[in-house]
Amino acid sequence: MRKMIVVAVREYAAAVKTKAFLLMLLLMPIMMGGSVVVQILLKDKVDTRDKKFAVIDYSGVVYDTLAAEVEKRNDEGIFTKDEEHKQIKPRFLVERVDTTSAARAETAFAQSERVMDEEILAFIIIGPDVVTGDGLTKDSTIAYHSNSPTYDDFRRWASSTINAQIHGLRLAAAGLDIDAVAAATKPISVGNLNLLSKDESGTIKPAEPTNRAATFLVPMGMMMLMFMVVMVGATPLVNSTLEEKMQRIAEVLLGSIPPFQLMLGKLIGTVGVSLTIATLYLVGGFFALKQGGYAELFPAHVVWWFVLYVALAVLMYGSLFIAIGAAVTDIKESQNLMTPVMLLVVSPMFVWMSVLQEPTSQFSVIASLIPPATPMLMIIRQTVPPGIPLWQPLLGVALVLMTTLFFVFAAGRIFRAGILMQGRGAKPMELLGWVFRG
Amino acid sequence: MFMTTSPPIVEIEGVTKTFGQHRAVDDLSLSVPSGSIYGFIGPNGSGKTTTLRMIMRIYFPDPGAGKIRVLGMDDHAAATDRIGYLPEERGLYKKMKVRELLCFYAELKGCTTSKPEIADWLERLELSKWADKKIDTLSKGMAQKVQFISAVIHKPELVILDEPFSGLDPVNANVLRDAVLELRRSGTTVIFSTHDMRAAEELCDFVFMIFRGQKVLDGSLESIKNTYGKDTVRVQVEGNSFDLHHVTGVEAVTDFGHLQELRIAENTDTQQVLESLMKTGRVTHFELTRPSLHDIFVRIAGPEATEMQADASTQEPSRA
Repeated sequence: MRKMIVVAVREYAAAVKTKAFLLMLLLMPIMMGGSVVVQILLKDKVDTRDKKFAVIDYSGVVYDTLAAEVEKRNDEGIFTKDEEHKQIKPRFLVERVDTTSAARAETAFAQSERVMDEEILAFIIIGPDVVTGDGLTKDSTIAYHSNSPTYDDFRRWASSTINAQIHGLRLAAAGLDIDAVAAATKPISVGNLNLLSKDESGTIKPAEPTNRAATFLVPMGMMMLMFMVVMVGATPLVNSTLEEKMQRIAEVLLGSIPPFQLMLGKLIGTVGVSLTIATLYLVGGFFALKQGGYAELFPAHVVWWFVLYVALAVLMYGSLFIAIGAAVTDIKESQNLMTPVMLLVVSPMFVWMSVLQEPTSQFSVIASLIPPATPMLMIIRQTVPPGIPLWQPLLGVALVLMTTLFFVFAAGRIFRAGILMQGRGAKPMELLGWVFRG
Repeated sequence: MFMTTSPPIVEIEGVTKTFGQHRAVDDLSLSVPSGSIYGFIGPNGSGKTTTLRMIMRIYFPDPGAGKIRVLGMDDHAAATDRIGYLPEERGLYKKMKVRELLCFYAELKGCTTSKPEIADWLERLELSKWADKKIDTLSKGMAQKVQFISAVIHKPELVILDEPFSGLDPVNANVLRDAVLELRRSGTTVIFSTHDMRAAEELCDFVFMIFRGQKVLDGSLESIKNTYGKDTVRVQVEGNSFDLHHVTGVEAVTDFGHLQELRIAENTDTQQVLESLMKTGRVTHFELTRPSLHDIFVRIAGPEATEMQADASTQEPSRA
């Protein structure tokens, strides 16, 4: 036991006492949340240069209103609402195309050439029967032609603007009052509320609106944090074991400590590294939420489960990574064996969204009881209010524990046989032989 | 001279170790007296390292194929901390500092108060300036000395050194040689394997040779040489261009450049050999002697030891 701890302490110190570790601690959240932050920061950083469009209006009734709406948008809708009044969207410029001097195809082709020559960005063809037609024939539809299909702002804006106008025209033609129809068809939102409860005096309290952050962002964040902690903590075991094998350090160590104890020492050190990372981020997350006035979002009720799952996940996956390091002779060889293990590690990523949306469904219960996926999926289910029955995480932990014991046992046998083997890596059948025949 | 009556610190009885179809060690028995320096010699792949690893409990004998007693214990797991081990291939964490690494290895052996000893050993092996440097900044010789310290820092009763002098320059080899002798003086038993026959002759009280997994020599250097008798002649012949193989009564010639070692056939008159030599040139040196350990090694291992012969032939002239 004492020797195991000595190995664990060295493993822990070797991982934690490096500049790379500190750098990783800082960079990891930036990498994970970076894309979101960048998206938010760059939200208003759009191209504000004027965008010019041609309108071929065969109906003869759409263009004027569309041009008026464009003017209105250019005056009011492309600036920030604050005092700065900064332009954050491009102006749309529209021009009417003469529809009488050429055949339809010729007119459309001429506009296509203008798009190619970059005179305009796109053009719209409004069919002659858009107001009276059924929207199924060519004459009763609207077509948007462009050479830059990923830019969709004008098409969407024009679609809603023209439709609103056509609705108005159709209602007027039918002799209906537009305002009355608008009032009659106004949608009513369905509120998303929690359950009602009573306070201490027995009075029924009104239900609180469901907190989207608590039900979606926090469970997702917990799972992502666990994935990150396990990956950062456990995957370096491949390299560290490989280093000990190829630098012949293992032989020195095995002169002092039996192979199984050596492996357990390395695993315990790695669990320590992962728990250090988890603690730092959890504490940091708590203070960040508290600072922002969202302390109630911190999932304190599942923190100990989280710690337990991290420890078990690192033992479970870490033993496999150690076995890989002991079985191969270089990094390239290790990649082949890493693939199936990594599939196992990332398997919860394939289903986490379904589990988050329906944490109590039969699928979610079964998926979260499959041991390699249990730590990440069970923590999601436990974090989403109101949680799950206690027997489920207990059963999950029991199954993970059994799997972990088997993985550690199997890895121990591979480690013992592979760690002194030089020259070539072990073949998969050889590995199975080591596991089952010893 | 070492007393052969000392109690054995390592006893190996009828041990066999097989890897797949290959029998690395075959029915080996051995007894290492306490307080001695015991040399393991043998060609590459003959089973030296496997035997040493079995003494260290890194490998185990085939089930039911003999037993190994170390420090008087059959199951000597508990004795591991009383053994120091320097493997053939050096194993040091490159990113650790020298002092830090030695502390780690000492702690693994259960020695928690090793700092004064570490400082003392670093001083003795002229490494004090490097105590806080990382291993990857050390030269090969320095790293080897650090590895040696890691094997002895916990004051073991038995030290196993697998090729301790390989790759060392003469100055560092001498430093390590002195350290080994000092260990013996302090009562530590030293087992070391080597390809350097000169080092084996100079240091060992006993020599054990293993060949194709089997013991072929075991005993004091004196007794081993006596079994081969005085059948060797060392000669120097000026202007010698004559092939000494053709001299009557000469069975084999080992050429060390300016010195030749002749093995004389049984019942050959050495005076006749001298006469034959004088006819080929001016004889400046003629010495009737027992065979060197190197010669005995070559006689046993034959062509399989060619690689080692090449190594030895580059070393031998310096002592002639």
